[in-house]
Amino acid sequence: MWVGSYSDPSPQTLFKLPRPKTENPFKGGPKAPTRLHSLNPCTRWQVGTRVFILQRKLYSIIFLGSQTVIFSTMVRSKAPSKKQQKKGIDFKKIKRKLGRKLPPPTNATNTEIKSKAIVLPEQSVATNKEGLAVSKKGLTLKELLQQTSHHNAKVRRDALMGIKDLVLKHPAELRLHRYAVIEKLRERISDDDKVVREALYQLFKSEIFPGCAEDNQGLFISLVMTYIFNAMTNLSIDIRLMAFRFFDLVVQYHPPCFSLYAEKILQSYEDILRKNQFYLEDKGKLKSTLYGLVRCLSLLPSKKPGCQKNILGERKIHAFEPDLPTENTGFSVIIKKLKELVLVLINCFQDFIPLLNSMPQLDAQSFDCILSILQSIDIAVRFFIYGNHEESPEANPLQVTWDQTLLSGLSKKLLGVFPLYPKHHLSVKEDDRYFILNIVITEIFLHLREWICPSANVFAKFLEFMENALLGKTCSSTRSGKATWEKHVPSLLPFIPKLVSEVTTDWQSHLLEAFTKTFRDCNPESSLKLACLSMIEEMLIPRGDMHYTEASDPVALDYQTIWIRELPLLLILLGDKWPSSSQVVLHLLLRLGQFACWNSSLIWEYENTQFALCEFYSTCREGNIYYGPFMRLPRDSQELSICCLYYFSNFSTLLLKAITSCCLCPELEPYVLFRIIEVVHAAYKAGHIQFADHISFFITLLSRFKVYPENICPVKESDVQISNCGTFKSLTCMVCSCLSQMGDSSVVFRILEKAILDLISLKPQLDNACAMLRVLIMLDSKPTRLSEQSIIALSNFLPGYLMDVVHCIPEVDGNEVAVSNHVQTCRYYLLPCFFLFDRSNQLVKLFLNVMGSSLTDSSLSLESHNSTQYVTDSLSRMNITVSLLLLIYKDVKVQKIMSLFRTEIGSIMQSIASLQSSEVNMTIEERHKFQCSFERLKIVASSSPVVYIDDASISLSGA
Amino acid sequence: MDVVIASSSIDGGIGCWDLQTGAEQLRYKTCASPPHGLVSVGRRFLASSQLRDPSATSGHVLYWSWSKPQAEVKSFPAEPIKPLAADSEGSYIVGGGSSGDIYLWEVATGRLLKKWHAHYRAVTCLVFSEDNSLVISGSDDGCVRVWIFDDVRRQQASHLYEYSFTEHTLCVTDIIMGYGGGSAIIVSASEDRTCKVWSLSRGRLLRNIVFPSIIDAIALDPGEHVFYAGSRDGKIYIAALNAESSPSNSYGLHIIGSLSDHSKAVTCLAYSTERNLLLSGSEDGMVRVWDVKTQNIIRMFRHAKGPVNNILIVSRPLSLGRAESNAQGFSRRHGSSLPPPLEKYANSTDEDMDNKAIINLPATSNLPTDASYLSSQLINDHIKELQQQGSSAAVE
Repeated sequence: MWVGSYSDPSPQTLFKLPRPKTENPFKGGPKAPTRLHSLNPCTRWQVGTRVFILQRKLYSIIFLGSQTVIFSTMVRSKAPSKKQQKKGIDFKKIKRKLGRKLPPPTNATNTEIKSKAIVLPEQSVATNKEGLAVSKKGLTLKELLQQTSHHNAKVRRDALMGIKDLVLKHPAELRLHRYAVIEKLRERISDDDKVVREALYQLFKSEIFPGCAEDNQGLFISLVMTYIFNAMTNLSIDIRLMAFRFFDLVVQYHPPCFSLYAEKILQSYEDILRKNQFYLEDKGKLKSTLYGLVRCLSLLPSKKPGCQKNILGERKIHAFEPDLPTENTGFSVIIKKLKELVLVLINCFQDFIPLLNSMPQLDAQSFDCILSILQSIDIAVRFFIYGNHEESPEANPLQVTWDQTLLSGLSKKLLGVFPLYPKHHLSVKEDDRYFILNIVITEIFLHLREWICPSANVFAKFLEFMENALLGKTCSSTRSGKATWEKHVPSLLPFIPKLVSEVTTDWQSHLLEAFTKTFRDCNPESSLKLACLSMIEEMLIPRGDMHYTEASDPVALDYQTIWIRELPLLLILLGDKWPSSSQVVLHLLLRLGQFACWNSSLIWEYENTQFALCEFYSTCREGNIYYGPFMRLPRDSQELSICCLYYFSNFSTLLLKAITSCCLCPELEPYVLFRIIEVVHAAYKAGHIQFADHISFFITLLSRFKVYPENICPVKESDVQISNCGTFKSLTCMVCSCLSQMGDSSVVFRILEKAILDLISLKPQLDNACAMLRVLIMLDSKPTRLSEQSIIALSNFLPGYLMDVVHCIPEVDGNEVAVSNHVQTCRYYLLPCFFLFDRSNQLVKLFLNVMGSSLTDSSLSLESHNSTQYVTDSLSRMNITVSLLLLIYKDVKVQKIMSLFRTEIGSIMQSIASLQSSEVNMTIEERHKFQCSFERLKIVASSSPVVYIDDASISLSGA
Repeated sequence: MDVVIASSSIDGGIGCWDLQTGAEQLRYKTCASPPHGLVSVGRRFLASSQLRDPSATSGHVLYWSWSKPQAEVKSFPAEPIKPLAADSEGSYIVGGGSSGDIYLWEVATGRLLKKWHAHYRAVTCLVFSEDNSLVISGSDDGCVRVWIFDDVRRQQASHLYEYSFTEHTLCVTDIIMGYGGGSAIIVSASEDRTCKVWSLSRGRLLRNIVFPSIIDAIALDPGEHVFYAGSRDGKIYIAALNAESSPSNSYGLHIIGSLSDHSKAVTCLAYSTERNLLLSGSEDGMVRVWDVKTQNIIRMFRHAKGPVNNILIVSRPLSLGRAESNAQGFSRRHGSSLPPPLEKYANSTDEDMDNKAIINLPATSNLPTDASYLSSQLINDHIKELQQQGSSAAVE
């Protein structure tokens, strides 16, 4: 009976019930009800019941939660009775009429369910998901992941969107469960539905790869890669193409993964590119695949090794290095595979050629495809030639790997069609596109040149193209054409040095002419300019080979001089807007200075750049100083340009002047200032600067350096932002030490003496005067070497200077620290005078006389012949004289000297006393104060020094 | 006996002191050496290149035997020679010319074995590696080049350097080499205010240290934990090689500290490995001996008025030390013990190449004989001294 009813072709079959499970209970026929009965208790804790009528049997489905579903079967009571009646007639066909319903049997079970409420605890909107990360739709990551394998494409896509949404909101969730997520998501790589794949791609691209960038990527990538490979061999071409895009994504985020799977990947690319029936149709997809290929191939080691790695930062020098596999391992095995791929690519390219001819116009997509094909070939060729194949068993891969099929394929099918040109000239844009393609083909040719030994004809064809390309003839003259030109010509430049040294003189001059024109014409800040500069460096500076031909050919020399002359102009043109470009030019200049000795005519040119370089530093026109770009460049560029100075073997006075005015600029960083002095001094030591020039450089620095603020106040050393006093002090120190290294100090002194005294008599600022006095005493010895004349000049100068010092550094009352600070500050300015006093008694005498006479003779007051800018009235002059003398007496050694000149001091005292008595407009307080200090002075002056202190008590350490 | 030997750029002779006792020894006369121009050739004698007028066309190299204050042998190479270096056995001398050429002489015969164009500008320093396998040269153009000595010596054709480091932007002032032969590190100092540490095995820059002032001299700690850099501001900076350095210190990255006594510029340094002492020569003509551990000056030698620019620590063979007592008579009896002067030009004939192996032998065999008799000579020395003292006491 069961079998019969089962075979009934009922259209209502909704559920396919597991057959063995349901079959067994009915085999026993009558047993079924009891069985049912035994199941019935389930319904007691049922949560929801639903009853289906299926094949005239009732299945009541009991929901126990959302997970468990129990089927219980309720057999219609009628069926067994019917069977009893018609025993013997098996397989009786019951005819039924369509559209008619059977009347319900009398003993039918009522399947209506009435309930007051439906409770779905798990699917409830009110589920407590607090604290869990949920997406916008309130689903957790686990639920979303489950849904990604839902049979409905839309649900899957929504789930992926949900994950993206969730990860955006809770980035930590991804980090915690990244392996679970990737394990689930990778199944979708070969999803049948295009939309789902796209959504997955976007999810990977925007969230998952960036989110998992920092941690152990190897495992992560290997999880994905198996599925990508799977998808790459999928029957559906769309899935395969998508797999390549996925792979492209993986490579972007984890480049080493290409080297791990290189062989397999290349095989996959080869397979897909062989299917040429599709790519001519769907170029968009082909394009993205080829982009991926270009990206992969560009990871091949195709440059010569020797690129600078980062130097160790914090690490210890002798520490063990982490044992990382080098990047280049594992590529040698793929040479064979790559060769096959190149052949396929060439065929691909060949398939495009008739298309180009037939098409009215080269559209963007075909262009992109061809360009990618050519670029891939180019990279592969470079890998064959320059790649590091040391691990390969072949001793010299170059000879072995170049099999004839590949070479002939390349030269016939690829280089044979060169140059490509538009059949139907329609737009300028097309011109540019063909130009780009031709450039890539030329590149491939130039790489291969030595291996294919081209005929002179072919070679000339390429050379001609190069020349035209450099001159910009083949490119359209529109703005976009110009941009294309600037972008693509640099790739041709690296071949020029080698070509120039190998081609005939005729071509040599053509190429160099074109190159020079390119170098001159391109924008100073463009990458083309930079490329030109690096080529110039290569052609000018011998690399490694010490035996570069001394007599280099005259053709090249002409252009070399042009380039060198161009450099300083370029530097000025660049200004301070393109510091990185300036840096490159400066570096080239420095290298030139270091290595140009091998060619006497070049060194001559280098020497001559200094005249043009003056403008780079500063220029002086009509008394105004215009600072060049040097002042505004970053510090490392400034340092480089300073280093260049060292290598001028004949430092011109003009350049030194320009640099000096830079040094005097208040905006110049002290660090750079000191570097300039260091380098200039080193250049002097190396014999590059004239003695007189060097001396005047120092003296100019000391006499013209602007110290601000102008009147000295006892500022602390820490207040550097408002004062460059400290800088000037170190500058003085530095100049002193440089001067002391210049040779016999007595000779230097003789030379400097007059110059300094002339400058001093011009009443410079206090600081400058002090610095010059310091230089003087540093070079002088005891007894003094000063001439009679200079002693007189000094004795006229010193009173004013000292009074200015006292006037400008106001005395402070108050705490001990402030007072001692004040004394220290004064001492810095007074010390040189003390030295002078110590070395020449004659000077002391003259000095005191001048002081005395200035007090008494008001008509002969100091301002008439000296530098008292501040002291005008006799009262303040009086005050200052007293405090100056007090300060002088503070130094024990000087006190001793002064004691020898009692009479002079006495006369000064007398005149002060008389002045004071004649002074009328003096308040009582002032009078009292003055009286106090005057009394103090009297005591100090009368007491002769008893303590003997040796010479060491005066030392420049007080500075 | 470890002696300290110092020379100056202005004529102050060559000062010589016993490092242990501080007693000044014989002062050798008439020497105005350029930096790196003083060398002890196999501990047998002293050689120094001499500073010359810029206009001079030929160089000047002098030899002093240990026992005589006057220079005994004078050579005049083809161009002014600045740095000199000798291999540890004293069989070869290399000198760097002001044109950038390096000259290689054989000491025993004085023959100029080779002259090659090494740099584009004047050579400023030359260093032999400990095992004599490498020669490292620094130049005015900022270039540091590493040459394999055997290749240089043998190859007739001019050949290329092993490495050329061009990262310095200004003149190289000093080079030192660490321990470990081909896998050692070298440290170079330059007027661009930097010291750079290079790896010989990998041929690349390992570390770049920027100092507050120009470094003129460097010395390496024997454990290669740190190196000492004598600067123009009078300080000796201690820079980390293998030691920990905190990123926040007053001088800059990798600079751990400094030794300073507020003197003038430091011009040369030497490290005594046996006693753990650092010697510094200064612009003020003093040689200071520093205890590295305590960072104190333990001794000062006054050399000359002018700047000291070379210091060497030589363990002088005692046999020669003894000769000092009766220097005049000794040398007169034996005649000059020094090899012939260095030749000006190479005479490249084939026969020269043949004798080379024969000449090599005596040069190397000289030293071990000295060494083996050290102890007996020491005793003899003492006996003689005691006898002299005894006799002088008796006379009194």
